[in-house]
Amino acid sequence: MDTTEIKKFKYMGRIGQTFIYFLKLCRLFVFRNDWKVLPMAAVIAGMVSMVVGKGLFLTMEGTLQGAFALTCVCIWNGFFNSIQVICRERPIIKREHRAGLHMTSYVCAHLIFQMILSAIQVGITIVVCRLSGMHFPEKGLMTEGTEGFIVELFITLFLITYASDILALMISAIVRNTTAAMTVMPFMLIVQLVFAGYFSIPNMLREVTDLMISKWGTQGICALGNYNDLPAVLIWNRMKAAGNVDLGGVMTLSELMNIVEENGFRDRVQYELGKASQNANYVSTPENLMACWAHLLVFAAVFAFITVVFMEFIDRDRR
Amino acid sequence: MDLDIIACIFQLVSQLALSMGYFFIFRKSGKKGWYGFIPALRDYELAVIAEHEEEGRTYFILNACYFVSKQIYIYYDSGSPMQVFFAFITIALAVSSLFYSIRIYLALCRLYQRPRKWTVCWVLFPLITALIWGFNKNFQPEHKAWDSEEISAAKVSDASLEVIKKGLTVNLTDRTVIDFFKKRYLLKDIHLSIPTGHMVLLLGGSGAGKTTFLNALTGYEKANADVILNGNNVYNNYESMKYDLGFVPQQDLMRDGDTVNMTLIDASQLRLPKNLSFSEKNKRINEVLDKFGLTSVKNSLVEKLSGGQRKRLSIAMEFVSNPTLFILDEPDSGLDGIVARNLFKSLRSIADEGKIVIVITHTPDRVIDLFDDVIVLAKDAGRTGRLAFYGSIEDAHAFFGKDSMEEILLSINQKDEGGEGRSDEFIEKYGQRITGQAG
Repeated sequence: MDTTEIKKFKYMGRIGQTFIYFLKLCRLFVFRNDWKVLPMAAVIAGMVSMVVGKGLFLTMEGTLQGAFALTCVCIWNGFFNSIQVICRERPIIKREHRAGLHMTSYVCAHLIFQMILSAIQVGITIVVCRLSGMHFPEKGLMTEGTEGFIVELFITLFLITYASDILALMISAIVRNTTAAMTVMPFMLIVQLVFAGYFSIPNMLREVTDLMISKWGTQGICALGNYNDLPAVLIWNRMKAAGNVDLGGVMTLSELMNIVEENGFRDRVQYELGKASQNANYVSTPENLMACWAHLLVFAAVFAFITVVFMEFIDRDRR
Repeated sequence: MDLDIIACIFQLVSQLALSMGYFFIFRKSGKKGWYGFIPALRDYELAVIAEHEEEGRTYFILNACYFVSKQIYIYYDSGSPMQVFFAFITIALAVSSLFYSIRIYLALCRLYQRPRKWTVCWVLFPLITALIWGFNKNFQPEHKAWDSEEISAAKVSDASLEVIKKGLTVNLTDRTVIDFFKKRYLLKDIHLSIPTGHMVLLLGGSGAGKTTFLNALTGYEKANADVILNGNNVYNNYESMKYDLGFVPQQDLMRDGDTVNMTLIDASQLRLPKNLSFSEKNKRINEVLDKFGLTSVKNSLVEKLSGGQRKRLSIAMEFVSNPTLFILDEPDSGLDGIVARNLFKSLRSIADEGKIVIVITHTPDRVIDLFDDVIVLAKDAGRTGRLAFYGSIEDAHAFFGKDSMEEILLSINQKDEGGEGRSDEFIEKYGQRITGQAG
């Protein structure tokens, strides 16, 4: 390099650096044993489908439970993918930033890599659910056939995983070390679970749920699974369990339910019970599903933006 | 009399008594007594005299948040969800504050050479404890608090060196930071010119500002300074010149899961110009691998390398861009004598190629024959990093009247660090010399 005058050389730009770092992440995924998240996704999906897969997309209660469980699986996968990726190499990034690395390129490389990783994990999850005999509806909200439903389910689960992944990436960019990251992660997980809309919460905190990945994830899966048109079986089953109740000396509750069953009214009663338990949030329309997707995408974009902003301040880290 | 009025008077009297206790503690500790009358500030200042400023800062912020949260809690209706929410927040902040206060009181016990059980008294009965510690003459601190405003450090030289065409000229007036509303001087009054082809040792005790100086030198953390490299202002042309300034950090900051070759390829992609062809870049990587003896391990994972190999790779990553100014922060840490000497020989050969090499090392004497010059940075009485000497190795021996670099270091280190505490003497002596040189 000429030392007497400054030569205005051109150095690798943001796109080139993104590509370099993406390839680096791929190599590290193999050499650093990060690939273990893939079999882990299969094991988690297997456990969940074993426990809640029976009623998913068949009954109202089973669908809500299953949707919540699948959302939790996706959030867990997403969190685990990236909670440590930035904070564990913060001093290295600082060194590279000093040598000309653009933070936007670094974060973009992660965004692309995590996108592919999330997609693979969701693919594994769906395959495991299918193999474990989980019932899938015969059509999606926007597409025909079970394949269409699977595509829509894939997109929904992918967006939940990806938004959670980028949320964890953001946390990883904010905290200074892996210990802090692993302390924050369970807290964030609890917040996501509590405000998923699955548990009843005070009215004034309802709006908080709108800021949760878990809420839009559960809503998306329920909408996709025709939640509002499914039978509600919980009340029926509980009434059966309390079948000894005497109905004014005429007959017992159990006998009454047997009459209903023998005359072929059981399904109708269960569907009517379902109608009474409908939830406007879970209405099965393409618009509702698209709204869920849009929210998840916006979350991912906002988290990615915040990640870049925090990474731009990496030079302010103290020794 | 109304009970409320009695309670109010009692509160006022107890606060006044507490402030008086603090007042005398601060006076004993060499701080201004009136700090004791300002509730939030006095806790921070207590941490400062206990030499736990950072804890004091966090405690101050937590207390402020606690106060705000408590007011919001009071504002909301009893039993409302928001009140419950802020009750949780207030409790969380109170618990956090408590633990920070315990840390500060423990440090205070150490300073006053009192048993740690006094911490319990501070937490449970602050009023009585503050009064005892403040008024009892048996409670005296081990040493007075350090106050930069009241200490007179060595005079500033006000020199300004002429810029040399081939080499590095530094005219640094100061480098400051705003730390918790206070301006702190990290470096002050550093003027030197290093010709190209020189290998320079940067010597200084801990906290003397060596890394801060190097960061200022490379424009990474700008100071109030003119840094001219081969006639070009580094600060004004930082974006184009940063590739010509190699900085090797103390730790080997590389990804363990990558291979040596790929680590260097990625480093070259970042640091070498875009228009360089693949074969030219590859040639440069092979040259660097060869120079640092890494060819045989180029396909190994970084995690499999020995300490010396890792260090050489870390240096190679910066050297791949062939920088004019090459700075290394303790490149020999963790290396044995022979490996370290070989490493310094490589650095000497880089300097001989017409580069400027600046090295921090804590074991300079084993390789001192390889250096041309030495920069000695020292903390003055105000704890600011100052230039105590810059010149040839022989001149340094004569200037300090010492036979080795370690002895020089001992002479400038503060007495509480086991040194002779003569830094201000040498700073002033060198200041006079540099003023004479600058004319």
